[in-house]
Amino acid sequence: MYDDDIIAAIATGYAVAAIGIVRVSGRGSLELLEKIFTKKPPYEHRKIYYGHITDSNGEIIDEVLVSVFKAPNSYTGEDSFEISCHGGLSVLNFVLERVLEAGARMAQPGEFTKRAFLNGKIDLSQAEAVEKIISSKSKRALFIAQRQLAGKFSSKIEKIREKILFLMAENEVIIDHPEEDISSIETKEKLNMLIDIKKQLKAILKSSQYGDVIFEGVVLAIIGKPNVGKSSLLNILTGTSRSIVTDIPGTTRDVVSGNFNIKGIPCTILDTAGIRETNDVIENIGVQRSKKALKEADIVIAMFDASNMLDERDTGIIDYAVKHSNKVIGVINKTDIKKANFMLPFDKIVEISCKNETGVDKLEDTIADSVINLESDTDIVSLNANQKESLKKGIDICDKLIDDFKRGADPALIGVDFISLADSIDDIIGKISNEDMLDTMFKKFCIGK
Amino acid sequence: MIYPKKYDVIVIGGGHAGCEAALISARLGVKTLMLTIFLDSIGAMSCNPAIGGLAKGHLVKEVDVFGGEMARNIDETGLQFKILNKSKGPAVWSSRAQADMTAYKLRMKYVLEHQNNLDIKQEMVDEIVAENGKVIGVKTHLGNEYLCDSVVVTTGTFMKGKIFIGLNEYRAGRAWEPPSDKLSDSLRSLGLRVSRLKTGTTPRLDARTIDFDALMVQPGDDEPVPFSFKTTKFNRPNMPCYLAYTNETTHKIILQNLDQSPLYSGMVESVGPRYCPSIEDKVVKFFEKKQHQIFLEPQDENSSEIYADGLHTSLGYEVQLKFLRSMKGLEKVEIMRPGYAIEYDFVDPTQLKHTLEVKSIRGLFLAGQINGTSGYEEAASQGIIAGINAAFYIQKREPFIVNRDEAYTGVLIDDLVTKGTKEPYRMFTSRAEYRLILREDNTHLRLAKKAYSAGLMSKEQYLLIDEQKKKIEETINKLKTTYVFPNERVNKKLLELGSEIIKTKTDLAKLMRRTEFNYDKLREIAIDLEDVESFIKQEVEIDLKYEGYLNLQKQQIEKFKKYEDMRIPEGFDYSLVGGLSNEVKGKLMEIRPASIGQAGRIPGVTPAAIAILVVYLKKINDKRIRNTA
Repeated sequence: MYDDDIIAAIATGYAVAAIGIVRVSGRGSLELLEKIFTKKPPYEHRKIYYGHITDSNGEIIDEVLVSVFKAPNSYTGEDSFEISCHGGLSVLNFVLERVLEAGARMAQPGEFTKRAFLNGKIDLSQAEAVEKIISSKSKRALFIAQRQLAGKFSSKIEKIREKILFLMAENEVIIDHPEEDISSIETKEKLNMLIDIKKQLKAILKSSQYGDVIFEGVVLAIIGKPNVGKSSLLNILTGTSRSIVTDIPGTTRDVVSGNFNIKGIPCTILDTAGIRETNDVIENIGVQRSKKALKEADIVIAMFDASNMLDERDTGIIDYAVKHSNKVIGVINKTDIKKANFMLPFDKIVEISCKNETGVDKLEDTIADSVINLESDTDIVSLNANQKESLKKGIDICDKLIDDFKRGADPALIGVDFISLADSIDDIIGKISNEDMLDTMFKKFCIGK
Repeated sequence: MIYPKKYDVIVIGGGHAGCEAALISARLGVKTLMLTIFLDSIGAMSCNPAIGGLAKGHLVKEVDVFGGEMARNIDETGLQFKILNKSKGPAVWSSRAQADMTAYKLRMKYVLEHQNNLDIKQEMVDEIVAENGKVIGVKTHLGNEYLCDSVVVTTGTFMKGKIFIGLNEYRAGRAWEPPSDKLSDSLRSLGLRVSRLKTGTTPRLDARTIDFDALMVQPGDDEPVPFSFKTTKFNRPNMPCYLAYTNETTHKIILQNLDQSPLYSGMVESVGPRYCPSIEDKVVKFFEKKQHQIFLEPQDENSSEIYADGLHTSLGYEVQLKFLRSMKGLEKVEIMRPGYAIEYDFVDPTQLKHTLEVKSIRGLFLAGQINGTSGYEEAASQGIIAGINAAFYIQKREPFIVNRDEAYTGVLIDDLVTKGTKEPYRMFTSRAEYRLILREDNTHLRLAKKAYSAGLMSKEQYLLIDEQKKKIEETINKLKTTYVFPNERVNKKLLELGSEIIKTKTDLAKLMRRTEFNYDKLREIAIDLEDVESFIKQEVEIDLKYEGYLNLQKQQIEKFKKYEDMRIPEGFDYSLVGGLSNEVKGKLMEIRPASIGQAGRIPGVTPAAIAILVVYLKKINDKRIRNTA
């Protein structure tokens, strides 16, 4: 629930840095500042003040710069200020504690942005996009989020909505003007429009799955018998990748061997048997771990040695891969020694040489293409679980309506289904706002945003 | 002179809104006076000779349950009765009757004249007198001043009414009746915003000059159903209407003479209804259509006058005659009265509360076309609500407000006071969000309790309806708990009835939900099932067959109510709420919505603005609770 009491949080990351910022916002926050700051008012909007934060006994906690923002022209729309302190974690914490002691309370995650929304500073789609931009892990993701922020997605939904309204209106004409021979388009044409709407909704759902790939990333597993070159490949993939990202906090994956980007897609590679070992594998354990990795991975890279004939262990790996994953990329390594003289039963096969680092680009392309198969990123959207749920609901209602039209159902009931359809579309772009939805949405923000 | 008798409520106007307002006010026991320009026009049908129609039938039945007269009046004077949309679901069935308009108005005048507490006088009101924001009386053109505590204004098209026939124009409130030239100025000086609207009517034709054999007959239903739940003896004729068509020659004549239409020559600039366009508009806007339907309807059992529905026109007499005679069956037709367009003053209805009381003047109520609506039924339903609330105002009772989830009347009034209107407002079923529940067939079932609690319905009537309601529930429960088994007899019968066999024990409610099933067919399967009256059968069938959809709408209503129940205090200061744009603030201050729900329906008020408002109201509410604790 929104109130305008004073909230505070450390706005910069929890790491030692040159400076750190404590952010404070709410009605009366400038009076609070007066209590803890050696520089006394007047405070002006968008001015920076030098002074010291002191404890209740007047002892200096830190030497700081305070930026003042006054309602309604601040980020939150309320009176607010930011304390730039020295960047040590304990200094920041002492300053925060002092602010809390003086009457502020700890901000909830995303509460600053929620206030900005509730005070009409930004709209819902902007708020969503802000979150997306913060969580972007690659330039590609950032650009997609920025496009969404610019309203490209909303206008697409708006067009679908217009079509639905047109069909609704057609249905209402039949009901409200039974005696008029108002020319209404043919049922067949309406049916086609509905089928088209459904197709578009499905396409959006698909592109939101691409959005998940861009924002959430994909999980890879490399399998292959010992000495086939798994660790070399892993090293090349993580090493050549120019933007290695840090570990995702809270990842519960078993053993993560590395995180890296391929064409802006965050990839997590799972350790599978034999990757770290060089020889003397205990086969049994290896198989166990490989199996688990196979199940968790979005893409399985099955590696083989071009310089040797396939043996039993290779065919065993082929069998596992085919059985446990529907996205397998066959990789034939050591093509520097010899061209492979065997065939693999996979759709996608890349020949590489880890030694010469050839074919790796092609492998990266193949990985990227197998999760996002689009001409351009223009249509990719990132939707939250509620939005996807609404999309799926919309698709279901389309099916129902298509059936209604086919069997000539009662237009009064068709009308009800159309309203549900329009509602589910409205939910996608957040036209309807309710408290729960808002809370859920803003919880995604980090504290201090 | 100052008239010696002081009234509680004065109703200005004797049309469909005025009649209902005056009757219900008197019936609720307050001293009522109706002042009207011309006594012989009480209950007159200025346009089409019909009552009801799509969504309008709903309104008539609601007026009936609230203690009004329209339904009873048409049941006594109708010439043919028909249920429209019978081929579609029961939610959109609508009753319509052709009226003997002479009999209709005579009976209405008779009912008014026999009503206790009601005086009727032929006088034109020029001025409404208010003091300290309260109504205290009216002044008439005869110089009389009548004192009262409340006034209901139902002026129809009479305020500064101007009629156009071709390039001729003259002042009139209805054909050949004088307009009210001063009243709207009085309303203006009381601070109300007044603007112009226009509407039109069709030529009346001489039946003796129409070749009916060349036209298609349109009879009413063989088994007519009355409007009023109170009607017991019902025996009305089934007089046919006829269907004629315009053709390309007709259209050509109209197009060639558009310069003679005040609508196109710029003489009339106000807005007319989109859904009931003039024939000029139809021909111009739907150029590709080769023909338009024209319904020829009797106006009076004993008269030759025929109403030509679909030919609203403001074209000159000569052109009207020429295009009429271009139509098949009308080659020799004679006009008895020409069609015309009429322009009149109306009051922006966003200045009203849901009681139809003017927000800024206590005791002043407006109802009917003065609020920008069109149609007898829309007028009557406002008339009854204004009349009830005027009487309740006198009696110091709580206002009588009908909500959108209760009745079409509620939808109509909420639309008017929340959104206003730019063209004459007509009711449609599509305006009602919960139309599966707000059906015509269940009007008395859904509104009886409300009407009875407000004292608008007698105890006997209420108990009878309550009995019906119980019977319906009982029957539904019975069907849900009575089972048939997949034996040879049952399955044989099912196949005979064109249905599928059952394989397991099945309750009767489940069978009823099959498209091809009805109560009588159920009785063939379950022999012991008792017979019930046909109305009960119908309601049970609807409730079961539409159960899923009805439950969905009930859920939607719950959601709707949540926001309706968040009341915004009267006189709430929006300038204190941070974060609202000036545009939104302006709209909220103008409409002054009674609830968060209503605020959300104001065009241009965004969901974000509503979120802010909800938050703010909760906050001041919490503070209030904290302070009082």
